[in-house]
Amino acid sequence: MRAVLLENLSKTYTGGNKAVDDISFSLEQGEVFGFLGPNGAGKTTTIKLLCGMLTPSNGCCRVFDLDPAQNPEKLHQLSGVITEHAQMYDHLSGLENLIFYGTLFGMNLSDCEKRATALLERLNLIDARQRKLSAYSTGMRQRLSLARAMIHSPKILFLDEPTSGLDPESAQNVNILIQELAARGTTIFLCTHQLRYAQEICTTYGLINKGSLLATGNIEELRTMVSSKVKVRLKASLIPDGMAYQKAGEHTYDITVGSEDEIPLIVKGIVGAGGDVYHVSAERMSLEEIYFSLIDMNNGKMEGGNL
Amino acid sequence: MNTKQLALIKKDIRGITSNKQVFMVMLIVPLALTIVLPSILVFVTALVPDAASDFQALLNMLPITEREGNQDQIILRLVLNKIMPAFFLMIPIMASSVMAASSFVGEKEKHTLETLLYSPLSLKQLFQSKILAGFSVGMMVSFISFAAMMIVLEIEMLFLTGAGIMPDISWLIVMLLIAPAISLVAIGITVRGSAKAQTIEEAQQRAVFLIFPIIALVIGQFTGVILVSTWLLLGMGVVLALLAALLMKGAVGKFTYEKLLR
Repeated sequence: MRAVLLENLSKTYTGGNKAVDDISFSLEQGEVFGFLGPNGAGKTTTIKLLCGMLTPSNGCCRVFDLDPAQNPEKLHQLSGVITEHAQMYDHLSGLENLIFYGTLFGMNLSDCEKRATALLERLNLIDARQRKLSAYSTGMRQRLSLARAMIHSPKILFLDEPTSGLDPESAQNVNILIQELAARGTTIFLCTHQLRYAQEICTTYGLINKGSLLATGNIEELRTMVSSKVKVRLKASLIPDGMAYQKAGEHTYDITVGSEDEIPLIVKGIVGAGGDVYHVSAERMSLEEIYFSLIDMNNGKMEGGNL
Repeated sequence: MNTKQLALIKKDIRGITSNKQVFMVMLIVPLALTIVLPSILVFVTALVPDAASDFQALLNMLPITEREGNQDQIILRLVLNKIMPAFFLMIPIMASSVMAASSFVGEKEKHTLETLLYSPLSLKQLFQSKILAGFSVGMMVSFISFAAMMIVLEIEMLFLTGAGIMPDISWLIVMLLIAPAISLVAIGITVRGSAKAQTIEEAQQRAVFLIFPIIALVIGQFTGVILVSTWLLLGMGVVLALLAALLMKGAVGKFTYEKLLR
């Protein structure tokens, strides 16, 4: 059974704004899927469609074989959600909030307390457990939201910008926690702008822009879509004649090759010409570079289409 | 009713009692209506001699059969059983609408509604719980206000006239039929408006319109147009109960997740 399945999913809001336009992809259980795109790309709308908060205008989606629009309550029992607007109660303490949400998911009081305490400990909030939420900082609230989404040990987590407002140490702690959850079989659907953060923890990606899905796959598949070329950075005393390069600094050169197999030939060429090689590294396209290339390609295609 | 719904009801009640600003609004009006207002009437009747003669003229015009006790006692029985019930109806309206507005639109305003919608409670269960929370608080405030009014009035009457005072059957109809029905009507109106309302105050304003017929009833009594009788109260109770049932039925089925998150 697929954890998530979207088939030609579209959502047009009243007023004609097409937020999601005919997107299809699927996720296996235990995947950490990074759903990436600029503001207004349709990421949050997709999460809301997958959680049953919105009804699709066209197409369908299923989460663990449940139709979110038909069985939202059953789906909510299996899922945990963090979005910008899913806040908790200021007049309750951190622990009370978690216990309340635990009981909403049908847990008994002692199980709620145990699970809430363990999560607060794991997210470094244990000292603030009796403090009212109104006294929590943005980062503490965000970590508590993560604990809230996990209180009932869901099979899938929908996380919309889970590390926004977190300091680097807390963000790293959250990353480790997400990876641990995935290792135990929890599927993670993660929306974020922070591409470096996504590259650290995601196993597969989906790139969305203006409601359209630009690409899906793991980072290697995405790289191939953009370019299969590898940029080699060299520090050498000379570059033989006829070898195309770009100077990147004193005795430092960037050479673009078709694949990593060509690197030994370059090194041999320099040594053969009497040069010394001090440094060789293959720089592969980061997720950020892939993302911008895909967005540019898409924008170019759209502009071409409009002409 | 399941444990999930009970948890939500408890949280809502705790939410209103811990919010001092909202809770004070809910307490001040009942306190003024059930303790201050009848006490003023008791003191004026018992301690101002001219007032008693004015009231005697009024008594002669009214179709009152029960004329036991002295004139002060008859007047104060009239105040308690004919004038106070109409005033009293403002209490369940106020308490229930404040609670309903706070628990529906308040959640929206504080961005906690979306979190609740991600829970495994169905929209119907969610609405039932919120309606019950509003109803419980409305009834609780009404019964406490009635008890407080009776205690204060009994003490004042014993000191000033030497005899106690007993509420008549109209109070039974008010407490067991009209107050619950009007409380549900106030909640129904507030809930129906809660999808469009963006602030607690906006949602409360809708139920305030219910106060106008009550004010008309009070004015009607003072001007002699209407006299609150058992039959009038029973009739009012039945109409309000029917209206409450209609509003409840319509309110729950009207919402979808999408409408609520707008």
